[in-house]
Amino acid sequence: MTSLGGSSSSTTEYTVRVPKNTSKRYNIMAFNAGDRVNCSTWTQARMERDMSARRIYGDDESAEGAGGSEFGKKQRDEARRRKYGIITKEFKAEDQPWILKVNGKGGKRFKGLRKGGVTENASYYIFTQCPDGAFEAFPVNGWYNFTPQAKHRTLTAEEAEEEWGRRNKVVNHFSIMLQKRFREQERGGDDEDESEKTGKKKKNIGRGGELHITDLEDDLMMSSDNSDSSMGEDADGKSKAKKNVGKGKKKKRKSNDKEAVEESDDGDYEGLEVDYMSDESSSDEEPEKGKPSKTEEHLKGIDEASESEEESEEEKPNEEEAKEEEEEEEGKKTPVQTEKKKKKDSSGESESSDDSDIEGETASALFMMKKRTPPKRPSGRGSAGSSKTGSRPGTPSIDSATTSNTLRAAASKLEQGKRQNQGPTESPAAKRLKMDPSSQSPAPSGKSTPQPPSGKSTPSSSDVQLTEEAVRRYLIRKPMTTKDLLKKFQTKRTGLSSEQTVNVLAQILKRLNPERKIINDKMHFYLTE
Amino acid sequence: MSEVNLNGVKQNKGVWLVKIPKYLSQQWEKATEKGEVGTITIGKKQGKTEVRFSLSEELTARGATGESDASLQVPRHHPLTMHTVKGQTMAVFSQTESEISLEGMVVHRAECRAVASDNYMKLKKLQIQESIKPQRFSQQLEKAVTHVFKPVANHSFNVAYQKKKKTEGKMVRAERQVVLDMLFSAFEKHHYYNIKDLVEITKQPVTYLKEIIREIGTYNSKGKHKNTWKLKREYRNYESEEEKDEEEMQTV
Repeated sequence: MTSLGGSSSSTTEYTVRVPKNTSKRYNIMAFNAGDRVNCSTWTQARMERDMSARRIYGDDESAEGAGGSEFGKKQRDEARRRKYGIITKEFKAEDQPWILKVNGKGGKRFKGLRKGGVTENASYYIFTQCPDGAFEAFPVNGWYNFTPQAKHRTLTAEEAEEEWGRRNKVVNHFSIMLQKRFREQERGGDDEDESEKTGKKKKNIGRGGELHITDLEDDLMMSSDNSDSSMGEDADGKSKAKKNVGKGKKKKRKSNDKEAVEESDDGDYEGLEVDYMSDESSSDEEPEKGKPSKTEEHLKGIDEASESEEESEEEKPNEEEAKEEEEEEEGKKTPVQTEKKKKKDSSGESESSDDSDIEGETASALFMMKKRTPPKRPSGRGSAGSSKTGSRPGTPSIDSATTSNTLRAAASKLEQGKRQNQGPTESPAAKRLKMDPSSQSPAPSGKSTPQPPSGKSTPSSSDVQLTEEAVRRYLIRKPMTTKDLLKKFQTKRTGLSSEQTVNVLAQILKRLNPERKIINDKMHFYLTE
Repeated sequence: MSEVNLNGVKQNKGVWLVKIPKYLSQQWEKATEKGEVGTITIGKKQGKTEVRFSLSEELTARGATGESDASLQVPRHHPLTMHTVKGQTMAVFSQTESEISLEGMVVHRAECRAVASDNYMKLKKLQIQESIKPQRFSQQLEKAVTHVFKPVANHSFNVAYQKKKKTEGKMVRAERQVVLDMLFSAFEKHHYYNIKDLVEITKQPVTYLKEIIREIGTYNSKGKHKNTWKLKREYRNYESEEEKDEEEMQTV
């Protein structure tokens, strides 16, 4: 080292050496300044190549080692690639990213990606100063940009899109990850179950604890019992419908639990990605989705009038009705009055509010029943066994005796309908025949007109029958509200109109006389067998 | 290749990252064993720090020999512009076959500039001329490459082929057992065979071979394009692991 002393300038000279014989290859490890990486604080570091891309390249080779190998496979593949001009890039271990783990398990993790184009036009050298003052220059082999890797859980792209769609509605964003974890736990639990029960046709929906899984199973099981032919499509269609409804309900529930949610509009569900459980495409699902979720909303409005945050116009009368029903439950108002009110309200409204009407009617009918005929239980039970074929002398008397008040109005409506169209009687006939005895005997006297056996078990043109057997099966399996039961026998499926559904269901429930239990402030029915 | 040697950063070694033009690095490669390529002068001129790199004399020649060729000379003096590394934290790690070690942190960045002398301009001109040359170029052929076939009674290739066929003769049916043995030994090597390959291996006529293999094997379109034959389960006794995987795949 020579130092030339000068008056105006002081210069120091250092020699530069480029060592020739090093086997060391120097690389640059670049971090972002924002990450605030201080290498001197590292106590321990491990670094290795990220070979996860190797399986993409060398997948075939490992598989075709000895097991499942073909004669001359490699040559054929090579020839094929040449023929089509496919050029696959080689897997170069040198170019693979680095994985740097600092300070052991609990420390940071970095991924180092190789930056291309560094050594093309200019060469980089590392100048280090030696103890003797000279500089040693080493050429830089590669440049790697190291970025820290997130340890916290992140949403997948699909989940992120979903949440993005809801960003204006969701207030509490912290719950998003919480729910994701919850969902994952359930899914994990379901997976375990599935692996155990291989025979069952259990679909992994991942909504454990909610009603919908069992609904689905029930549907599948029930349909298979009733008619094999219709099972395939029906189950699919039902599962679709159920799933849509379930999804709507699930979203509602999620929002009810933790977040303040606006009322949802029609277009909100459009961009939704739905898990594919059936073979049908999503475009089919969307229009259907809109409808059941709407009906869902309306149905919900009745039972959970106090809880529900929706305030569409259609639901206001529903709320009123609900309130009326609740009062009725306590036996304050006479059923006739409510009936009249309901009729008034329902006269001008759409079918969806009819559903709620029916809901109210059923509930009211049932509650009326419960109060006035406790001793009739055994008779009801006894005849329940022969629901399909036998005639039941006992029940009509009950029917006509006590429900005529509430059902009379409905029946009279049917009467009118019947008189207007004396056409072929299929499933409506089932209702009409039943209603006829009760309507023709206006006086609430105990007329025991035997039920025509066909009235109940007429095989309608529908695929799912609203039979006592079916209801009983549901109730044995799980406690259900009237609303749930109604959902199971949707008018599209059974072929009955909504009013008829209500009436028939009321009848069945009377006959079955299930036990009651309050779950979540809702009256559930169940049977124990 | 895992544990990183952190000695460099622990001692807080600082290094410079210097960008050197290609022609200069080329010259450096010509350096002697000792490795001296030049000198760096760090001076303070009127308050400003100036860093310069001077290429050593013997490396200025551009030609193959070590003399200073007058026509082509690499410029000697290169000022280095220094930058700080505020925006980026850079470390240097080195890699050998056995070890990875962190050599140090980059404290300065520098770029080697060239002075615009005549020498330099000449050099650059040459460089540009070289790089402008396209990689692909057209070349005139003296003799045209043709694949046009002259009409010939019988092509030479065909003649050869027919001769070969005649000398070989038709494939003779060997004993059934012999053929079976051949097939089993073939299937020991690979699991799946094409019928054509089997014909070639066993040298049996196709129909006969098909009969035999229908006994001991099944035809499957594996899902992988080609339709191949494989041995029936009862005849198989491959290595357990791969067998299991295969069977599992089958049952699923």
